[in-house]
Amino acid sequence: MIDSLCDQTGREDIAVIGLYCDFLAQREQSSTDMLGAILKQLICRGKIPEHIREAFRKAKKEFGGRGPRLPDLVELMKKAIVSLPLVFICIDAIDESIPRHRRELLESLREIIRVSINTRIFLTGRPHIEDEIVKGFSKVVRIHFSPTQDDIKSYLEMRLSRDTDPYAMDDELRTDIMRVIPERISEV
Amino acid sequence: MSSEPQQVTGNVNSFNSFNVLTAHNSIVNFDTETDTEGRQILQWLSPLEPQQRHQGVRTDRLDGMGNWMLETNEFRKWSDIEDGCIEPVLFCHGNPGVGKTYLRYNNTFRLARDNANVTDDQQIAPL
Repeated sequence: MIDSLCDQTGREDIAVIGLYCDFLAQREQSSTDMLGAILKQLICRGKIPEHIREAFRKAKKEFGGRGPRLPDLVELMKKAIVSLPLVFICIDAIDESIPRHRRELLESLREIIRVSINTRIFLTGRPHIEDEIVKGFSKVVRIHFSPTQDDIKSYLEMRLSRDTDPYAMDDELRTDIMRVIPERISEV
Repeated sequence: MSSEPQQVTGNVNSFNSFNVLTAHNSIVNFDTETDTEGRQILQWLSPLEPQQRHQGVRTDRLDGMGNWMLETNEFRKWSDIEDGCIEPVLFCHGNPGVGKTYLRYNNTFRLARDNANVTDDQQIAPL
């Protein structure tokens, strides 16, 4: 289906950037590190832009090497992204980041998409964070995701095929699992 | 692919960080072997390495799951490039454990991979 995206664009030079947020790694996931990770993926797709090399060299001289600040990264990214024909930035579990850092990251992304009309942002998260996302961006497409019965059945089949104790399974139990679990989940 | 620095060409993607891409696809023009400063720059930009988590997701991914979402008007609206930047942000929300993480990789990583497999001589065949 994603092929249809390619067809719509008619272009092959698409950059897809991914980032995971994680409750367990919150301390390492500052807004600066998260945006830095996005920029890092963006520039390693080709020649590292000269303006980023210059910024690095300059920072290296200051106080024996200073890390980039968030506003610096926003500027570096704006300059790097503007020439790219199509960029998808995907951030998973945005709700698992620290609220302050999340807000800063979303603000930074908003600034970036303002200069780059060919950037698309894909966010996933739990429903409670929706208001925050909608406030952060002027136009947000929202999709509520829940698995279909077929999705659940495929998933169960996959898990059963990986069963570490297959001798405990028989046809009757398998049939029950395949019937009851999808029913129960769709009732939720 | 040449190790000489060059302009960004077609058929590149960067789902993960540079080392994964150079290990599995020869699609990164940036030469991480000889460009010491380049490596330092990437490290300077961020210590995060999203590809580590991605490897686990990729292993557990179930193809085809959630494909219905790609057919929705919302998704089409978001991905419609011709419209310019009308709705640039897509927020996919759902309860914990419903497969949002895996969905994303179904969709976007396949896009990246398919693009990576296309050489300069090939075109993506229209559906």
